[in-house]
Amino acid sequence: MIRLENVSKMYGGEIPAVRDATFDIAKGDFVFLVGPSGSGKSTLLRLINRQERPERGDVWVAGRNINEMANNQIPHLRRTMGNVFQDYKLLPNKTVFENVAFALEVIGKPKHVIGQQVPQVLELVGLSGKEDRFPHQLSGGEQQRVSIARAFVNRPLILLADEPTGNLDPATGEGIMGLLDAINRTGTTVVMATHDHRVVNAMRRRVIQLDRGVIVRDQERGVYE
Amino acid sequence: MIQRLSYALRETIASFRRNVTLSVAAVITSAVSLLLVGATFLIQRAFDNLLVQWRGDVGMIVFVRPDVTPDALKLIEDNLRSQPNVVDLDKLEYLDRDASYEEAKRVFVGDPTTLSLLSIDTIPSQFKVVPLTTDPELVRNLALQYRTLPGVAGVSLAEDEFDVISTLSGFVRTVTIAMSLVLLGVAVILIWNTIRTAIFARRREIEVMKLVGATDWFIRVPFILEGLIQGLLGAIVSCGGLWALNSAWTSGVAGFKPGTGVSSLIVPGSYVNGVMVALLVIGALAGGIGSGVASSKFLDV
Repeated sequence: MIRLENVSKMYGGEIPAVRDATFDIAKGDFVFLVGPSGSGKSTLLRLINRQERPERGDVWVAGRNINEMANNQIPHLRRTMGNVFQDYKLLPNKTVFENVAFALEVIGKPKHVIGQQVPQVLELVGLSGKEDRFPHQLSGGEQQRVSIARAFVNRPLILLADEPTGNLDPATGEGIMGLLDAINRTGTTVVMATHDHRVVNAMRRRVIQLDRGVIVRDQERGVYE
Repeated sequence: MIQRLSYALRETIASFRRNVTLSVAAVITSAVSLLLVGATFLIQRAFDNLLVQWRGDVGMIVFVRPDVTPDALKLIEDNLRSQPNVVDLDKLEYLDRDASYEEAKRVFVGDPTTLSLLSIDTIPSQFKVVPLTTDPELVRNLALQYRTLPGVAGVSLAEDEFDVISTLSGFVRTVTIAMSLVLLGVAVILIWNTIRTAIFARRREIEVMKLVGATDWFIRVPFILEGLIQGLLGAIVSCGGLWALNSAWTSGVAGFKPGTGVSSLIVPGSYVNGVMVALLVIGALAGGIGSGVASSKFLDV
């Protein structure tokens, strides 16, 4: 599903954020990218959704080399991925329903499809009955659930999560992990960057560890060391 | 399709509200510059009227010496009458010395020094010739024939008088075109800046749109539409201004004496309407280009 071959990415032309990374992620995998701040976890995610392009190496997603993709193909690539962030990135002037519907609206989905899919996904993330709330009226955990609903409403092949539990207390973070696990069980490939020991150790999934841009460990059913 | 269109319109209106001050500034600047563009067209047209009217009237005056012999005078007149293909014989007019002196009193009413040098005994009489051709070169050739005839003091061509008007209109045109181009550039830059601000205000939303896979055009269209509407609003205001300006000018000109040439500086309404349509097109284009450039520059994938 996702394949990186000898990928290197520099920032400012000197300091490598990612150095010679190679790995394969199969369809339906759940993978943790772990490592301290600045080790290159977020950069790897940004290379996969093509917010960044590598200086060297190739990135393949669903059988296509995305570095050779024309710019007008990128939106279609991104429709196969959902993105979840530490700071949620919800639109403050839109309700819960509108935030999730927005993801379908801007890719031109008709109104009746939106009216059908948004309540479904809101029920999945446990936010039924809160459709008309605004983000500032929700707790952090609930806001992250809205963000996950927005990422998943289009049934993407891949879900990319960048420190989704970073702003949450342990109990709430656990709930979010349960949700991501449930989404993974529907066949969606999940790649999650984190430095939260507890969630990694509790889940026992594949762990790719980075240190200053270099992959130092790639382990099935790993723990955070 | 309708859903996308309504989305674009909603976003455009919302963005316009968010940036009222900048939007109004952009509209006013485009209105002023377009008004100047329109005025340039009208001034040009008015000068053209002036030239056309004079060219259609008297094109050549043959001045005859006051001491001309009757034979020589008859020779000149016979010569003119022998050219029915070139000279409009019905309009051929001879002003004797009395009539010429009367005319001179009017021509030099503002110039008493010149007038005091003239008297009934020294003033040349004149043939007013209306050429049938509007080709200035043919008229010039005609004039050459008469300069050498006995008794002829000189030949004046309307064409030579036009030089002043032509030069003046050329100068006015250059200045107004230059000014309107500069102002139009300012309007485009202001619209560009308004759109840049609008994009900046919505950068979070745009980031989300890109991540969920909205196409560039989907993101861009509301911004381009916003710039286009700003240009168009400016053009509508400038059309109103141009109409008011032209009405005031037309009624002002009506107060001048006929035959002074000023009366020909009126521009017909159909021409004004054409200019207004052109202004609307230019305004929409300038707005669309300004916002199009801004949105492609600040909305990289």
